Amino acid sequence: MKEIRFENVKKSYGHTEVVKNLNFSIHEGERLILLGPSGCGKSTTLRMIAGLEDVSSGNLYMGGKLVNDVPSGKREVAMVFQNYALYPHMTVKQNIVYALRMKKVPKKEIAARLEDALAMLQLRGLEDRLPKDLSGGQRQRVALARAVVKQADFFLLDEPLSNLDAQLRVSARKELVKIHEKYKQTIVYVTHDQIEAMTVGDRIALLNEGVLQMLDTPENVYHRPANIFTAKFIGAPPTNILEMVYYDKHIRFGDQKMSIPNEWIQHIQKANAREMVFGIRPEHLEIMEEHGENTMYAIVRAIENLGAEYAVYLTFNNEEVIALSPHKEWRVGEQVYIRPNVQHMHIFDMATTNSIGYPEKMVNRVPVFN
Amino acid sequence: MFWPFLYTIYLSFFDWNMIKPTKEFVGLQNYIEVLKDPLTYKVFGNSAVYIFILLLLNFTVPYIFAFILDFVIGRMKSFYKSAFFLPAFISLVVGSILFTWILNPVSGPVAIVMGWFGLEMPIWSKLDGWVIFILSLITSWKIFGYNFILLYASINGISREVIEAARLDNVPLWKIFFHIVVPMSSATGIYIFIITIVQGLQFAFTPIKVITQGGPNYASSNVIYHAYHEAFVLYRTGHSAALSILTMVIFVILLIVEFKYVERGIYYENK
Amino acid sequence: MKISKNISIPWHIAFLITIFLLIFPIVFAVGSSFTSLQDAYNHPLALFPLNPTLENYQAFFDSLPAIKIAINTFIIASVVTLFKVVTSFMAAYAFVYFIFKGKNTLYFMLISTIFLPFTVTMIPNYLIISNLGLSDSLWGVVLPQLADAMGIFLLTQALRTIPVSLIEVARLDDMSHWQIMKDIVLPLARPAVTSTSIWFFITAWNEYVWPVLILKSTENFTLPLALQMYISSEGGTNFTVAMAVSVVTMIIPLALYLMFQRYIIGTFTSSGIK
Repeated sequence: MKEIRFENVKKSYGHTEVVKNLNFSIHEGERLILLGPSGCGKSTTLRMIAGLEDVSSGNLYMGGKLVNDVPSGKREVAMVFQNYALYPHMTVKQNIVYALRMKKVPKKEIAARLEDALAMLQLRGLEDRLPKDLSGGQRQRVALARAVVKQADFFLLDEPLSNLDAQLRVSARKELVKIHEKYKQTIVYVTHDQIEAMTVGDRIALLNEGVLQMLDTPENVYHRPANIFTAKFIGAPPTNILEMVYYDKHIRFGDQKMSIPNEWIQHIQKANAREMVFGIRPEHLEIMEEHGENTMYAIVRAIENLGAEYAVYLTFNNEEVIALSPHKEWRVGEQVYIRPNVQHMHIFDMATTNSIGYPEKMVNRVPVFN
Repeated sequence: MFWPFLYTIYLSFFDWNMIKPTKEFVGLQNYIEVLKDPLTYKVFGNSAVYIFILLLLNFTVPYIFAFILDFVIGRMKSFYKSAFFLPAFISLVVGSILFTWILNPVSGPVAIVMGWFGLEMPIWSKLDGWVIFILSLITSWKIFGYNFILLYASINGISREVIEAARLDNVPLWKIFFHIVVPMSSATGIYIFIITIVQGLQFAFTPIKVITQGGPNYASSNVIYHAYHEAFVLYRTGHSAALSILTMVIFVILLIVEFKYVERGIYYENK
Repeated sequence: MKISKNISIPWHIAFLITIFLLIFPIVFAVGSSFTSLQDAYNHPLALFPLNPTLENYQAFFDSLPAIKIAINTFIIASVVTLFKVVTSFMAAYAFVYFIFKGKNTLYFMLISTIFLPFTVTMIPNYLIISNLGLSDSLWGVVLPQLADAMGIFLLTQALRTIPVSLIEVARLDDMSHWQIMKDIVLPLARPAVTSTSIWFFITAWNEYVWPVLILKSTENFTLPLALQMYISSEGGTNFTVAMAVSVVTMIIPLALYLMFQRYIIGTFTSSGIK
């Protein structure tokens, strides 16, 4: 009953359409991430759920009810804002219980919920401080606590961790999951950070320019991107997208070619796209010194130290390609050989930019995600 | 708030004295009479002199002072701000009384100090020119601080980096003022320019009424005081209304010219 | 920023001279108000009274219903302030947080009235007051002063600095506008509301143009009107009494300003013109 459903939902300001025709559902009790680059419409989508923005056209259902004209206060939502929006003139405790008092929740109940929230979010001892006397992490937890005590059906978070430093973010993510496991609200979480999306989300809805690009589990979004945008947006360094030609059971890149498994051959033939591009993640591209089976040559252009490994920039068939390598014994200008791991390749239809999908035999293969 | 304004326009087409039960429609007669009256031109001329002095003392000077206080002065900043702003909170009637005595041509302290140097204080309230100058001075005493504070706020809001970049390039102070500070605070600058004209003339009403009643022989009257004089001393509502409307039309034209002229140069803060 | 001392010293001097010109009349008035007329004529340059006396204040209280006049001024200023603060605050709230058709046009029209000279409304307002039978009454002074674009402008600027997300959180909690106004906006805007109120109070206290048109009998006078009786273009013969009345007239505005100057200057310096 606590699901959210978008039916042809559009949002425009004057002549600019910010959200174009959204059609999807958020299931009861799941953690759905709205992910995308800035200006993709993710925050607008969240604010439409909150009722802070009107729906320009289409229908928005929450808990089975059409809510287009329901004011935000009647939607049973709690929200955490990017800047936390703590009332600066109220103490931590006053901030947390203010809404409950206004709703005339019994005093005992308020005290119990407050106690719970303080304990869970490690805010004990800070009750009487003003927001200005708290650290960033503490403020963020107060904002969470304030939203949690409402025990609303829908829990909305707008980039709640973007003002925290990297270490705090990790612990805050865990806290969030803990809260959700306790209360099982329907969570909608906006972020532009894909690590956050992967770790927090049950499912990810990836938006770009107001259009839903893909809605699936983190695993599938990573390993089976539905289109070129998804492939390039998720993962860093981004997926290499290369011009290719399929001919005579091989994939050809200019004057070089590569053999592929039988099931892919059949799949490509079935897909019957006129022009295709090839996608491979840097981590699935091996660099070797010597020519070997199914290898192609490339020239090293630059090497970037990523800490655990090295990103090697290569020129291959007149295009730039990035490969990850565990060591840096490569010299700029040197000719090397690359071998794509064909178990992890992607092929997209150039005309639609959509993936042509994956061979049936491989569909059930659960990719290992780490 | 707009109804009285419209009613004033209505009245400007009638001959009336506020007491007669009937108003007589005279069309544009009031405007023609006002425009034919040499007194009107005298009063407009006086107003121009008021505007000139008020702009000098309450636009140019506080603009420069605000810049200096923000960029040159290090210490006593809040003291200066408080002290400049203080007279804005005192009644102009009080101001008029104080200055009337202090500038008393015979026994006032200024006259006495001037006497030490063999100078004679003019009997300013009886002299054309002098009278406007002194009344403008009294008005300025009241409005200087208000204008100063708003200009200071605007200049203070300019990003420090921009100014610091200019300092690093060794740009002299006066060039920073004209090339960076004035353009970047011009929205407030124009606002102050306009209210100095429009409200300055209205503030001047008080010392005129209190000290000279427009005299000697209308030498200190301005358009605002004259409209009051026509309506409540001579009881010629039509003339007064026509004069007010003319005044406003001139103000509006001034504003439009001003905006047209500087529009391209305005840098809007907070945008 | 480092700027050498040599530049700043002449400016300090210029500032101090300006301040002397602005403040000297006030100090002089206070000094003279405690000086007998005789002493004042004999020692016109003395800033402080040689033989302090209250006779000038006594003269004011004897010749005019001084207490009544002070109370009139206080009542008018208080009523005007109360009305103006409430209406300006509500209007500012509506301009900032409500969305309605023609909002910007309305705001622009309202603000543009700041530029209307009072002469274009003075006759109709006078007629309204007379027709209501309120000439020579305190209400006649109060009524035309109730709406004020400047207050709406100042408070609108102040409310705009409150993050919108605070209001959004409250809306998600199903709070009424009344509650939001009372519990969130008002406490956060208190410095601005306080200083705007003081500004209103002082402006109404000092108001001269309206009272002079409306009030005729001395027992209805306000302080600026009473003060006006002591003047002639020669400076008047009993100017020390005039100085005493001046001190009475300016003491309350000055005290308020000195007490709240940080708030007031803060509000005026944060109301950038947009």
